[in-house]
Amino acid sequence: MGNMNDALRVERLSFRYGKRLVLDDIHLVMREGTFTVLLGKNGSGKSTLLRVMAGLAQCGSGKIELLGKDLRSLSASSRARILGFLPQQHRPVFPFSVEDVVLTGRACHVTLIPGKKDREKAFEAMDRVGIMHLAGRSFTELSGGEQQMVMIARVLAQEPRIILLDEPTAHLDFVNQARLLDLIRELVDSGLTVAAVLHDPNLAFLYGDEFVFLKNGRLQSVSSSQKPWDGSLLNAVYDMDVHTVPYGKRALVIPGGDKKSVDHS
Amino acid sequence: MKRPAIRWILYGLPVPVLVLSLLVGPSDVMSPGQAVLWMARRLAGFSGQADAKEALVSAILWNVRLPRVLLTFLVGGALAASGNSIQALFRNPLVCPYLLGLSSGGAFGAALALTTSWIPLQPSAFLFGLLAVTSSYLLARVRGRIATVSLILSGVIVSGIFTSLLTILQFLTDPFKLQTIVHWTMGNLHNATWEKVRSAAPLILASTACLFLMRWRMNVLALGDEEMRAVGLNPEREKLLLILPATLAASASVAVAGVIGLAGLMVPHMVRMMIGPDNTHTLPACFAFGGSFLLLVDNLSRTTASFELPVGVFTTLAGGPFFIFLLKRAGIGWET
Repeated sequence: MGNMNDALRVERLSFRYGKRLVLDDIHLVMREGTFTVLLGKNGSGKSTLLRVMAGLAQCGSGKIELLGKDLRSLSASSRARILGFLPQQHRPVFPFSVEDVVLTGRACHVTLIPGKKDREKAFEAMDRVGIMHLAGRSFTELSGGEQQMVMIARVLAQEPRIILLDEPTAHLDFVNQARLLDLIRELVDSGLTVAAVLHDPNLAFLYGDEFVFLKNGRLQSVSSSQKPWDGSLLNAVYDMDVHTVPYGKRALVIPGGDKKSVDHS
Repeated sequence: MKRPAIRWILYGLPVPVLVLSLLVGPSDVMSPGQAVLWMARRLAGFSGQADAKEALVSAILWNVRLPRVLLTFLVGGALAASGNSIQALFRNPLVCPYLLGLSSGGAFGAALALTTSWIPLQPSAFLFGLLAVTSSYLLARVRGRIATVSLILSGVIVSGIFTSLLTILQFLTDPFKLQTIVHWTMGNLHNATWEKVRSAAPLILASTACLFLMRWRMNVLALGDEEMRAVGLNPEREKLLLILPATLAASASVAVAGVIGLAGLMVPHMVRMMIGPDNTHTLPACFAFGGSFLLLVDNLSRTTASFELPVGVFTTLAGGPFFIFLLKRAGIGWET
């Protein structure tokens, strides 16, 4: 049995695609009200781990607990009331209005047709993400950044306690990446538990509480107090020389061991 | 005009169109005025002695026009509602209820009944339509999951197989029966009877009612399988719950009216262009507008020529230009 404050626990999890071992004996604990960032190279198993934790891919062996309940014992809709998941790509073909897209997040609370309360929840979620002005616009006309905010609002409308985001900053520009991570930070500080796959270690170190490094399906978990940017951990994870520069209590990360890359003008 | 206003017009459209359609027909015995008089008397509960002329009017309206008008409306509504659901399910605006082999299966079933006369035509068309869709569905099922692309592919293959079988029948049969088969596949509403209405109406109404209950789930499904799982619904189950009634409604229509092209593809588009893509509104609007649309088209095909052109030809000829007009004016909204 896990600690009361554990939002999500993963024990001895392994996962295979066919014969290939993608996740190898994973142990992971996410405490309530923390922001965990998953880092690693492409193909290291980050997205797979996220999907398995979200209950979208059958876990091979091992155990996953959400708020102390075995994931396998939960029905799809009771799982969705605890945990929200944002997949990588979303391109609806039909030009639904933003309001209608956000409303679909209510599916786990709705029998057949959403009611007045569900519409209110959808508007609350849009308000929280700051996209009320987009409510009547059609989703397909929005910019990538706006679409991502809509999808976050959809996850919030679901009212989960835990949110898993697969590369939420992909396709977003500099400003929108910062806006999105500020929003995630706000959500976490208000008590939600969030885990996200991020490609940029700088953003990860600026915003995250806990860091999970994946390499070849194996996992190493480090919290911010342990300063993952120090030492040779990043070099090993990315198979590349990484230079770190102190920044406040944290650090910035620059690819390349020496400062050669800035002297070439 | 605002979308809600257009919506209510679409919902109300069937009433005037149904009444108007009763007045239209090739008979010289009866003027529209007589038809109106007859309807007024019926509604007032008049049941007195009728003279010969009035008996004729009554027979034409009651035994010829009314079943045809009702059947046409039901078939048009069923095809459009079914098309709306299938497009939502495949997240693809280019598909129609015939995609999974329903029309070729139905046509083969009808041809088999016409050539061999072992089995009655309507049940045969209905059952082979269902058989085709079921095969497509089962072929596409891999380890409990249905990928959209494999469903489309298996639909194409199953359609191809039934079309080949139909061609064999057409090749082997005599010219007279061949003509009947070809006419059947063009769509035929002119031999509507009360019996056909009775056999098709319960299925069509029950399955469109199921689709009506699923109308919001279609919105959830339209965003993608992964997104649907993420909010706690099982896309495989939801797809089955849509395919089943959509197929039943469309095969019931094919069984009584033959293959009426384009109605199931075009009407949902027209409706979306008028009131937007929210399936909670488009589904009932598709039923109302699809029925009215087919009725108007059928009225045209009954009145413009001295002989009746197959209604399938007319749906395309009359609907095509309107479709292009909407497309040019409103834009379809998925230019990617």
